[in-house]
Amino acid sequence: MGVAGDARARVAPRPQAEAGPWRHVWGRRLLPYALIAPAFIVILGVLGYPLGMLLWLSTQHYGLRELFQHQGEFVGLQNFQTFRVDPQFRYVLSVSLIFTVVNVGLSMLFATGIALLLERVSRAVRIFLSAGLVLVWATPSVPAIDLWQWMFDYEFGVVNWLLTHLGAGNYIHHNWFENPIQGFAVITVIVVWGAIPFLALMIYAGLTQVPRELVEAAEIDGARPWQVFARITVPILRPVFLVVISLSTIWDFGVFNQVWVLLNQRPSQDYFLMSVYSFQESFRVSQFGLGSAAAVITIAILVVVTFAYVRQTVRLTEEAV
Amino acid sequence: MNPRKLLFTVAAVVALVATACGGSPTTSTGNETGTLTVWLMNGSAPQSVVDGVNADFKAKHPNVTVNVEIQQWSDVTTKLDTAFAGSAPPDIMELGNTLVAKYAAAGALQDISSKKGSFENSGTWLQSLTDSCTYQKKLYCVPYYAGSRAIIYRTDLFAAAGVQPPTSMDQLMSVGQTLMAKNGSDPNFSALYFPGKYWYAAAPFVWDFGGDIATQSGTKWTGAINSSQSQQGLTELQKLVSNLSRADKTGDEFKQDQAFAQGHIAMIIANGWEVGVITGKTGDPSLLPKLGAFPIPSHNPGQTAPVFLGGSDLGISAKSQHQALAQEWLGLLAGSKFQSQMVTVGGVIPNTTSLVSLSTGLPAIFAAAAKNSRFTPNSPNWANVESANVLQDMLVSIFTGKSSIPAATSAASDKITTILNS
Repeated sequence: MGVAGDARARVAPRPQAEAGPWRHVWGRRLLPYALIAPAFIVILGVLGYPLGMLLWLSTQHYGLRELFQHQGEFVGLQNFQTFRVDPQFRYVLSVSLIFTVVNVGLSMLFATGIALLLERVSRAVRIFLSAGLVLVWATPSVPAIDLWQWMFDYEFGVVNWLLTHLGAGNYIHHNWFENPIQGFAVITVIVVWGAIPFLALMIYAGLTQVPRELVEAAEIDGARPWQVFARITVPILRPVFLVVISLSTIWDFGVFNQVWVLLNQRPSQDYFLMSVYSFQESFRVSQFGLGSAAAVITIAILVVVTFAYVRQTVRLTEEAV
Repeated sequence: MNPRKLLFTVAAVVALVATACGGSPTTSTGNETGTLTVWLMNGSAPQSVVDGVNADFKAKHPNVTVNVEIQQWSDVTTKLDTAFAGSAPPDIMELGNTLVAKYAAAGALQDISSKKGSFENSGTWLQSLTDSCTYQKKLYCVPYYAGSRAIIYRTDLFAAAGVQPPTSMDQLMSVGQTLMAKNGSDPNFSALYFPGKYWYAAAPFVWDFGGDIATQSGTKWTGAINSSQSQQGLTELQKLVSNLSRADKTGDEFKQDQAFAQGHIAMIIANGWEVGVITGKTGDPSLLPKLGAFPIPSHNPGQTAPVFLGGSDLGISAKSQHQALAQEWLGLLAGSKFQSQMVTVGGVIPNTTSLVSLSTGLPAIFAAAAKNSRFTPNSPNWANVESANVLQDMLVSIFTGKSSIPAATSAASDKITTILNS
């Protein structure tokens, strides 16, 4: 908000102190702030307050008794100290990081592929494909995960049936969640499936902005399709890529529903991602302080990642101004 | 102020005070007003019982509204946490017996030790449920009903294979193997269907060999699931599961009744009420005449293994504004008249030994199995052991072969020790 405020203030013509009475000067100076105040207050209320509460809670010993009495016990950074020696937390953090990298990578790969395809196919196919993408995007996540769960079901799943009938081996009573690597593969499929539509459409929108004459000139000069993509398309799409990569990092690092719903709300510890761990500590084990501390760490990591995104947005805003 | 006016004022004040503390025992005249909120769990009391209790209560307190709200087991702890944290939690709530200690210790429940005598049958309450209501020698709830597990089996499949209900663990294995051989052509057949996370069905095997979950000395708990006796029980169970079950080794028990109704299963370890699910809307009603039950056999021939006594208690929240009314409503549901109906209509085990004999048919077998019953460590932190899935994860590791029994049990035992003492 501060950034937008500054930009606005800079654009506004500098008020002339001698040009009018003091009231007038103050009015001119304060007007921009008055205009952004409603939005600022709303954001402070719905984002700032909970965030502040979270930070405060992460420094408390806050169990069930404290919850009922509305009175926590200040423990400083002890909750964070606990994580440093907890091998489970180290596992959770590393799994979350690996999971995020893999999922963002795969999502981007498929989304870019589909976006390039959208550009090349005929109008009818493009409309058909886009409609399909929008439908996936529009499916509420919980019912969608329920459907995936049935497909990978141990006893009645169509995936096991299909693989067996295709001769890929005996998948009767194959349990996809016995081995966490396989389990995470299934979760990755669901996350990537859900992420592709938005990313692909964003990238496709970016692709339509690549000047045709630039591509044609390169082709005339003998550039191969791969070179056109790497030397022309990617550099032009850089801002778009940066935005969608930042956004998918935020989403994939915070994946919760896919794990929680898929594993019947009782995931084994192998499947704990940061969000699941935080939820488990808070609402299942009633250690709200510890759960909040885990959430604070998640936010801290995301702030670092989001920094690139915010910087890019600011640059674009400045260019526009 | 003239005398008339004074009298008027006094009368008004008295009336106000009377209204304000409406429901305190001294003014229990039937003129109280207000709303009593009751949370019962899905499937606990048949609607006819709830209606009966409300009708009897209404007859005495016509101006009090009673709201009975039905909660789901899957999310009830989160809902209770939120409700207790607020200013107006329900006045009466049904609590699973393993949850009481947690809420009693956190100060959410009213201490009703001094009122114990006023509840009907309080002298003959089931010991195990009374224990679950007792925290630091004080009574925080009233036993509601109990449930225990036994083995439900298909009489027709047993007859076809020429076997009888087993009376020892060894026989359970041999009967199961005969059934597996007889149904060898069915790749989905399980003689004993045992989902990997089904901890409450595994506990009897641990207890039967003299093992335990944790032991207490003074205020300190020590995990005991890694003791040699506990390991022996789990070894026996693992043999049964690997030979007789094709259930998901990482699955939970919530779908076992639907699976049983599909017809490829000869035995499941189940609660008495699950007969109703198997033969109900989501199951197969035609199975009813083909169902039998027997207690989980002990490794000592002729005896039965101790089972976990599940069940529910009824508590009054400490913040309730209607303590006396709440006690009265609760007393009706927990008293002889409606407990008898819970047995005959609901098929559960009543809260008092004096009514157990009302059970007939299959419920009687479950009631008999409850005579040899055990309870989980009565610590406010036990609910956290359950929430953290410690024992479920341990079983999954054992059944899937991810860890050996000694390694899995010792890891679980350490966790239990940590959580119970935290």
